[in-house]
Amino acid sequence: MSIDFYWRLPTHGCHATIRRGSYDRGDWSPLQAGNQTPGLTASGEDDGYRYIDHLAEIAKAAELSGFIGGLIPSFPNTDDPWVISPLLARETKTFRFMIAFQPGFLDPVHAARLSASLQRATGGRTVFNIITGGGGPSQLWWGDSFAHDDRYGRTTEFLDIFRGVWSGQPFDYDGRFYQVQGDHLSPLLSREEVPEIWFSGSSDAALQSAAKHADYYLSWLEPYEQITDKFARVKERTAQLGGEQKCAIRVDLVARPTEEEAWHDIRTGFENVSDATRAQWRGQPTDSVGASRQAALRPTEARRWDELIVGKNLWGGFNLLRGGPALGIVGSYEQCAEQLDELIGRGADAFILAGTPHLEEAYRIGEEVLPLLGRTAAAQPLLEAAE
Amino acid sequence: MTIKLYWRLDPAAEPQRGEPSARPAAGFLPRDVRTAGLTRYDYYAQVARAAAITGFDGLFVAYRPESDDSQIVAAAVARTAPRLLLVPEFPSTVGSAVYAAKEAVSFQRATHNRLGWAIAPGADPEDSARTAEFLHVARGVHGQKPFDHEGHFFAVQGGGFSDPLARAAFPPVFLQGTDEEGLQLSANAADVHLFADARLDELRGQVETLERLALGAGREVAAGIIATISARETVEEAAGGTGITGSYDDVAEQIATLHAAGITHFVLSASPSLEEAYRIGQFVLPRVRAALGQLRTAA
Repeated sequence: MSIDFYWRLPTHGCHATIRRGSYDRGDWSPLQAGNQTPGLTASGEDDGYRYIDHLAEIAKAAELSGFIGGLIPSFPNTDDPWVISPLLARETKTFRFMIAFQPGFLDPVHAARLSASLQRATGGRTVFNIITGGGGPSQLWWGDSFAHDDRYGRTTEFLDIFRGVWSGQPFDYDGRFYQVQGDHLSPLLSREEVPEIWFSGSSDAALQSAAKHADYYLSWLEPYEQITDKFARVKERTAQLGGEQKCAIRVDLVARPTEEEAWHDIRTGFENVSDATRAQWRGQPTDSVGASRQAALRPTEARRWDELIVGKNLWGGFNLLRGGPALGIVGSYEQCAEQLDELIGRGADAFILAGTPHLEEAYRIGEEVLPLLGRTAAAQPLLEAAE
Repeated sequence: MTIKLYWRLDPAAEPQRGEPSARPAAGFLPRDVRTAGLTRYDYYAQVARAAAITGFDGLFVAYRPESDDSQIVAAAVARTAPRLLLVPEFPSTVGSAVYAAKEAVSFQRATHNRLGWAIAPGADPEDSARTAEFLHVARGVHGQKPFDHEGHFFAVQGGGFSDPLARAAFPPVFLQGTDEEGLQLSANAADVHLFADARLDELRGQVETLERLALGAGREVAAGIIATISARETVEEAAGGTGITGSYDDVAEQIATLHAAGITHFVLSASPSLEEAYRIGQFVLPRVRAALGQLRTAA
């Protein structure tokens, strides 16, 4: 048995420490002493480094410390994964670029050409995280006005065409959203592998689309009973629809030599959160089912850091400290490994991990946590089952 | 009037160069140690570095549907070829104009504003209108917040980039074509209009038309040319070449003449791309710059 572990490239700047929320890596903060990429020279001028130089450092750290690649998220104020991936293609060797994108961004035939070209540029290191949910004002910002279930219909059609033209034979398609006549990739491009497809979305419309096209079904971490049920439901539903679904979890870790040190960093981070951030904590309206499920995990107020402990080594306030999911794992290296082993036992076939700061934590988790996997008490049932 | 000289990388040219699938499978006597990790992109990067080393101002990457995508190629070589403006050519049918603008901004942020956009002329009669709207929306979300648009091809509500993305410069836009509609589109929306190679008197007329239309639109649009170039030590050796042809002195003079006719951007190509980049960069560009009094001198 082997499990794919991805890391994450923070595309909206990064924090030097989980203890403070300032984005002091990248230019999402003003150019000033103490900030990096860009930073200041000794004489006080822009040092010429750009945020991509920091992302290159993280990608190298991830591949050197044993991660298979990294998720590259896409939001309105992030740098873009379709640009980051080819920019870093030639200076990485094994790092897989997991590109988050919405089908509405690109024409499907063009997307297939881009993907095959990127496969050629990277030696087959392209992976997709197809995002369909979201919705609300954010979709209109992107110039995308489809309603929720229509978007999954479109994602299915997009991927039908994406795979159809990749066959290399003239391909016709007459869908609700796309029409294609005789398009196909050239032999040079079509001999590349179709990128692995990771899929998100908790609604039934999403699962129908996933059953047809997804290699991995990706979820944020949820309380364990809940995620066990979810993965079982996804695997069952997609089996009914004729698919075989692997499942994956995206989760942040605070892993330290001792549990006390890990909770100390969480507590310090919590105490440094401004009142304004706490006031905004309940989040913004969205029609994404996944985001609503996360919102339901939260206590109504964030008064004390330890009120957000929702299980052994589980803390529900991560999105107070940085953007993203609320629930994360906190503990010693051994405890973090135990939690991951437990999740593997509950149906996880792959992970996207992250920690703040992303560069240093790629090494820490790669060196201290990943080697413990499969050796903890939680792994024993797995090992017995595999025999 | 400054001159800008670009080398044109055609991803479909010299298709066997660096192409792993073109390596001889059998009957190749030398021990072959080339790994799968050595690819066609190493060749693209070499051509880009050749253009940088030999003094070109930029690298134009042609749109070739059957070969590697120009935007992937441009990004893949960007960090290895410093200083060059990178100008991928692509049609306005690639997808959302908002997304294209966002990709452009990321490229600009990562490369100290070294991106240009060459929108490929389309075969479809609708393409000119689409390109106009594509550029309107892309510039709109880059320059205004909130930006709203309800058009024939694109719709946006509450769009527009925030800092730091909004701080990146919008890429200079290169458009092509010789008909009046194409020139009018350039007058309205291009920074540079690229003509196809033609007789000098024809080009003079086209440049005049462009200038007249741009004046009408209240804009300044630079004129450029996409041309092949055949330059050799002697005119005899260059005989039979295509495009701008002759000895090094001859072609430099022809380029200077075109420059005097109002053409300031030169997108040049010759095959094989690497060797010819060195030849043109080393023997022709210095002569052109000397003729125009713009010779680069050592500090």
